[in-house]
Amino acid sequence: MGRGTLDKFDAIRRGELSAVENVQRALERIKKQDKRIKAFIELNPNALAEAEAIDRKLKRGERVGKLAGLAIGVKSNINVTGLRATCASRTLENYVSTYDAEVVKRVRAEGGIVVGMNNMDEFACGSSGETSAFGPTDNPAAPGHIPGGSSSGGAAAIAAGMCDLCLGTDTGGSIRNPASHCGVVGIKPTYGLVPRQGLIDLGMSLDQIGPLAPDVSGAALLLEAIAGKNPNECVMLDVEQVSYLDRLGGNGVKGMRVGVSPKFAELTDPKVMGVIDKAVEKLHDLGAEIVEVQLPNLERGLPAYYLIVSVEFFSATRKFDGRKYGKRIEEVCGEEVLRRILRGQYISRKEYRGKYYQRALQVRTLIRQELMAALEKVDVIAGPTVPKLPHRLGEKISVSSMYAYDYLTIPANLAGICGGVIKAGEVNGIPVGLQVQGKVLGELEVLRMMRALEVHNSCE
Amino acid sequence: MSTERKLYCDCPTNYQDVPPNTNVCPICTGMPGAKPLPPNEHAVNAAIEIALMLGCRITTDQTIFIQRKHYDYPDLPSGYQRTSLPIARDGELQGVRIREVHLEEDPGQYDPVAGAVDYNRSGVPLVEIVTEPDIKSPEEARKFLRMLTRVLEYTGKVRPEAGGAMRADVNISLEGGGRVEVKNINSVKGAYRALKYEIIRQRERLKRGEAVVRETRAYLESQMVTVPMRVKELEEDYRYIPDPDIFPLILDAKRVNSVRGKMAEPPHLREQRLVKQYKIPNAAAEVIVSERELADLYEAVAREVDPKLAATWFRTKLKKVLNYMKLRAADVKFTPKQFAGLLQMVKMKRVTPEQGELVLRELAKEPADPEELLVKLGLVPLKKSELRAAVDRAIRENPRAVKDYRAGRKEALNFLAGKVMELTRGRADPREVARLLKSKLKKKRKI
Repeated sequence: MGRGTLDKFDAIRRGELSAVENVQRALERIKKQDKRIKAFIELNPNALAEAEAIDRKLKRGERVGKLAGLAIGVKSNINVTGLRATCASRTLENYVSTYDAEVVKRVRAEGGIVVGMNNMDEFACGSSGETSAFGPTDNPAAPGHIPGGSSSGGAAAIAAGMCDLCLGTDTGGSIRNPASHCGVVGIKPTYGLVPRQGLIDLGMSLDQIGPLAPDVSGAALLLEAIAGKNPNECVMLDVEQVSYLDRLGGNGVKGMRVGVSPKFAELTDPKVMGVIDKAVEKLHDLGAEIVEVQLPNLERGLPAYYLIVSVEFFSATRKFDGRKYGKRIEEVCGEEVLRRILRGQYISRKEYRGKYYQRALQVRTLIRQELMAALEKVDVIAGPTVPKLPHRLGEKISVSSMYAYDYLTIPANLAGICGGVIKAGEVNGIPVGLQVQGKVLGELEVLRMMRALEVHNSCE
Repeated sequence: MSTERKLYCDCPTNYQDVPPNTNVCPICTGMPGAKPLPPNEHAVNAAIEIALMLGCRITTDQTIFIQRKHYDYPDLPSGYQRTSLPIARDGELQGVRIREVHLEEDPGQYDPVAGAVDYNRSGVPLVEIVTEPDIKSPEEARKFLRMLTRVLEYTGKVRPEAGGAMRADVNISLEGGGRVEVKNINSVKGAYRALKYEIIRQRERLKRGEAVVRETRAYLESQMVTVPMRVKELEEDYRYIPDPDIFPLILDAKRVNSVRGKMAEPPHLREQRLVKQYKIPNAAAEVIVSERELADLYEAVAREVDPKLAATWFRTKLKKVLNYMKLRAADVKFTPKQFAGLLQMVKMKRVTPEQGELVLRELAKEPADPEELLVKLGLVPLKKSELRAAVDRAIRENPRAVKDYRAGRKEALNFLAGKVMELTRGRADPREVARLLKSKLKKKRKI
């Protein structure tokens, strides 16, 4: 493991590394690698000036915040004033944000420097990183393979060391899936923990912004900066602020209860499962108690999810009617976006009301109850993130195989619980991530579990 | 509704007073990524108050979802309008049952000719009030709408109807025909005319043996006719879904009671109470409750002086002065005490009602102590001797009129009275003048 995010932060604090140098290096790496990787859509022309301001503050001994001088990438569906929030779609290719999303305000308040806007699957509708109107993103950890999606650019940027931390979004696995494929750390926070003000919608009842990072501390750091109630937003949990960093290490995972479900092996490629089983064994060796939990309806989440997300996405995209942003979404978007819009439009029809959407919401309740019941017995549930290995870039796969990437990540979104991903190992050089799902506001337990594995892996 | 802020953002609501697209923010213009703020508490309370004034049962301890109603129109920046499920049901006003009351956000304003949209109004809260089919004629509809307007204005929570802030969709069906809904009506007068027109149109069709189909029509105010709406608008399916970005409303009895505690008495109930409490005629009470501030002023005055005298003055002289000066009761500057003082003088016969009216006019222009106004206007009471002198002088200087009167031409007395008023510069009580003249002229005859 190279320098951890915290070491770098300390170096900036102590003046051993200036914010300008740090941002400059990030920009240079982007310049050098991004033609091939395509992790960014647009760079922030003011990044160096903002870094200079941080350095001046540091020199004067002023408060700079917990992200001071760190180079942050922002997914292109989050508003950053003056930069384009394209959602990687022709629909919004010329939309320049007029305001900062709440999370961006918080990142800035803590001294983080937005270096640019990350590539992604169009409107976050994808699990491969291939559907961007600006071209597919490559996987730096397994070149030639998909990086996963939809936060493809963020995960790839971290994997390639192009920036320190990234803001991704996760509606059905969009942080965790690329984190797994790219071998980085990603967290989908509990629904309602992180403000969504300024996040361009996919499925409003499922979307959550979260961190992508090279290490657990980095993810914890960014999550601390962005989490907590925003009074100017309705659907949020009543959490003032969170602190994880000072409670990550200490007593490890001794005595913590880790749930595993036989369902996981049923749904997952044995090669992937082999890596996951080993990781769980390690947790056991580290003192965690492994407990079997039952998740009998887990796979039913997938069809329910695609109905719910399509209806909400249909509603959310009505504003892209061609009047204000120049292009009507249905006329310029890619296949998967159009498929979801049309599906949402179809099943939300009056005559189908009870048939699809209502049923999907019932399944959602079922999945939530099941996960909640399981999490009453254990602290976290550990298992695979993605049931199979990433395909090669450009390889054509069917819609249903594409959707099948999401089987194991969707349930956490449906239930509103949190989940984190950390690299567990590799299959033929391709990273495989362990998914650790926690209770509502169980981020600390998830982070501790991931941190224990991280420490263990780095010692090996 | 006339809240200060919009329903889901902090923008001001005075959309009529500012240049286009100045009361706007990312939320009310539906910018990508913008999420609603929690619903404006004042708007929710105002809707509760309006519902209570209409005698409705408030939906308490239940989730009231805010729904997205999808349709495509330039004035709708997000492509959907947020509309709540009923916050109240089962009310009644003047024999018309109220089915439900719910809360909505107004869209922007689209000018199809200029192709321009003004989002100042976008997100302004509004209440929709739905009645049962209990209205039997355009006249009843007009009466109901006027009454409704008065109730709404009484709450002080709505913009005046005159500003076009009230809109109505009216439904009408004649026997043998389908129900026709008419939209695009923005005044009481418009509702009346649209209904009148529809009755004629539908009756003619039925007379000719043609069917009146169930449809939605638009009222064209400039031509005072209704026309069918485009077919697309009829087939529209709003695809309602609960808005995932807003927690549903849950109202509890405590909140409803707190609104009820601060709520104004509805005008129709107040009218009945005034009649009973102050023993005044219905006609006077009706005028008094026509504006909430007028009724408040009346009750304050009635505590100080004879309520019946006050009622007469409110119905006649005050109303006349306010109309003349184009003032609403809300604009009145004088205090109830000042007005009561004036009425007291009238009651004690220190001034005549006519003089009193002069004082009232002055009071409305520039409030002051009525005693001072009396001096200012030179209305210091006339001494008996001064009046007698004036009467004598008028008789002496107008022998011809005296002769005419004595010959039986009664109108000659008015002429003489006029002369007396002239001589006293209007300070004399005309009734007293007439009485004195009559008795003097009688006396002289005896001589």
